[in-house]
Amino acid sequence: MTVRPTSEALHGRVRAFVEGILRGAPPEPFDDLALALARFQAAHVPALGRLVRARGIDLASARDAAVIPALPCDVFRLARIAAHAPDEDTLVFRTSGTSQGKEARGEHPFRTTATYELVALRWGERMLWPDRQDLGVLVLAPSVEEVADSSLGFMLDLFTRELGGPVSFHVRGGVLDIDGVARAAAEARAAGRPALVLGASFAFVHLLDGAGARDLSLPPGSRVMQTGGFKGRSREVEPTELRRAMASLFAVPEAHIVGEYGMTELSSQLYEGTLAAALGARSPARHGVYAPPPWMRVTACEPTTLAPLSLGETGILRFVDLANVDSSVAIQTSDLGRVTDEGVELFGRAPGATPRGCSLAIDEVLSRGSS
Amino acid sequence: MSAEAEARARVLRVIAAGRRIQDPNDPLGAEARARLPEVTGLDPRGVELALSAHLETQPTDAEIDTLLARTGRAPRCHVVLAANVCTAPLRALVLAAATSPDIVVRPSRRDPVVTDLLVRALSADEAFVQTHHASLTRASTIAPAPGDELHVYGSDASIEAVTRGLPAGVCVRGHGTGIGLAIVGADAALDAAAEALAWDVVPFDQRGCLSPRFVLVEGGEPHVERFVQALDAALARAAERVPRGPLDPALAAEITLYGASMEAVGLFLARPSHAVGFDPSPRALVLPPAARVVHVVALAPEQAPKLLAPWAPFVTAVGAWDDGALARAVLERAPFARCSPLGAMQRPPLDGPVDLRPSRA
Repeated sequence: MTVRPTSEALHGRVRAFVEGILRGAPPEPFDDLALALARFQAAHVPALGRLVRARGIDLASARDAAVIPALPCDVFRLARIAAHAPDEDTLVFRTSGTSQGKEARGEHPFRTTATYELVALRWGERMLWPDRQDLGVLVLAPSVEEVADSSLGFMLDLFTRELGGPVSFHVRGGVLDIDGVARAAAEARAAGRPALVLGASFAFVHLLDGAGARDLSLPPGSRVMQTGGFKGRSREVEPTELRRAMASLFAVPEAHIVGEYGMTELSSQLYEGTLAAALGARSPARHGVYAPPPWMRVTACEPTTLAPLSLGETGILRFVDLANVDSSVAIQTSDLGRVTDEGVELFGRAPGATPRGCSLAIDEVLSRGSS
Repeated sequence: MSAEAEARARVLRVIAAGRRIQDPNDPLGAEARARLPEVTGLDPRGVELALSAHLETQPTDAEIDTLLARTGRAPRCHVVLAANVCTAPLRALVLAAATSPDIVVRPSRRDPVVTDLLVRALSADEAFVQTHHASLTRASTIAPAPGDELHVYGSDASIEAVTRGLPAGVCVRGHGTGIGLAIVGADAALDAAAEALAWDVVPFDQRGCLSPRFVLVEGGEPHVERFVQALDAALARAAERVPRGPLDPALAAEITLYGASMEAVGLFLARPSHAVGFDPSPRALVLPPAARVVHVVALAPEQAPKLLAPWAPFVTAVGAWDDGALARAVLERAPFARCSPLGAMQRPPLDGPVDLRPSRA
């Protein structure tokens, strides 16, 4: 029996919710929709069904999305997390997972990417180009043709197509083409067209290390989105130092450097709100605080019980992402953070237990490059 | 006396010092029992188990022959200990004594107890110091010279940090972190296998690199689930005799997240003393926290190579109920692992380093 009709209906409800809430008029309560998704997923995603039964949760009578059991990210590499059959996959995003080989990578299968595309574009637009500038795009990441299973690659490709201006990709075969970046910057200056630079943090570090005397300044109105950590792919740089150096390199205000937080297991992204605030599209914001979209609820949880914590308390982050229609609407990460009225502050991965023996530690495995 | 005989004599003196620590009536043994629970986080009965059953003080002559054949010779041997189980300094210093009469040791900052006691015992040992002209010095820094040997214990990252910038000509032997895994073949007696395995898990609260973290069981889901239940019961019985030490919050958090993953993929049995996770159809292995938490998977021999591929470099010990197809498939992937019957994984002969993988340095 195909789940397609139910899935389609839920996708429709989520897209209506997204469009509605951005206009200030959501068609239904967040909790109702989240629970509808959870009931569908518990019935059709075996791992979620088991989790619900193991916790003894009665989703049928639940009224609050807080009761939905959150699936740990690790499960995406241990089991197929999809309500539909593999032959209905149109796309599968995979985690980098380099430490444990290709076979051990987490997978997030999609039957349709329509909802993913809508939420990525709607929130990207709000946080990265709320002024609807005519922007060129410089991408410091591989193109989607090179990394077809990367959710980041897919999102960046989406942005470049949406913006419609000149686009250049500057990472090929894992190598950053610094001269290419310099040429693209020169073309942007010559055309007087501001640019959006998109890339992974480690690529920016390589650019800073290798730029030398090249002029990479960009026209006024330009902006930068950086994402991800370093994962051993470059030297580690403090966020403040990296931001300052990038602002200087591209000749943009620091407020125009925006951090993005996303993961393969989620469909929606969070952004620092400094650019949107600087452009007058949001209330004042500061770096280090990430704004989730209104179709996502973030909660810090007590790490040993997974119980929700109050606003302002630090714990491991749980995401309820309505755009995860065919997988798991609630995701439990091991990322430490704090949720406040301002947004979500991220403190990196929760430190593992101190090794007190010669047995391999979980942290040691993760530090070898797993995502 | 030949150099070989001198090396053997030094080794025997270090083992004799180990026997003093093993003896609860010796002042050194009493001090070890008083200090180790706090330093190691083990329950006092866990410390007693470690000292009485897992300190290698009764090697055979043949084992010492093998140990001597596996070690080099150097004018001085430096030993850097870090994050090993509490009994590990004995073997480390035996290896150093086999290598050189002049030993410099930097103990683990967190757990210097057994090293300190061995240094004290050997410094007062006339045979070691005067007859065999040996010395064992405790140091806070090490400075090996060309020609010296350096034995480094710890994670690959800490081995790299210690060995960075050393002068050329220093022979470095790195002993990294690792994991043990256990194999239960299709014809195994499940209760007996579980009982034996429990006593591989309990010592050191599973913190040693010989401790089984993964258990690969051949058979269908119901068969393997019976083993999971048997292991759960065996671990509970073992904990009545040797309780687990207290968990720190980070470890408790790791167990919680691991448990949530297992609830989603199969089964998670969480007890105050231990936990068992079961994945009936594994796509990948997930490393459970090292706190008497065992990850059991149902596996056919032909699946083993793919599943083990990412983990094979870390496997230091394999415990097997039998030498069936699954055991053979695993050992093919982990040729340097110490192999033993279940129940004996934590009692490797004193015939060389615990970790027989090529040097991690």
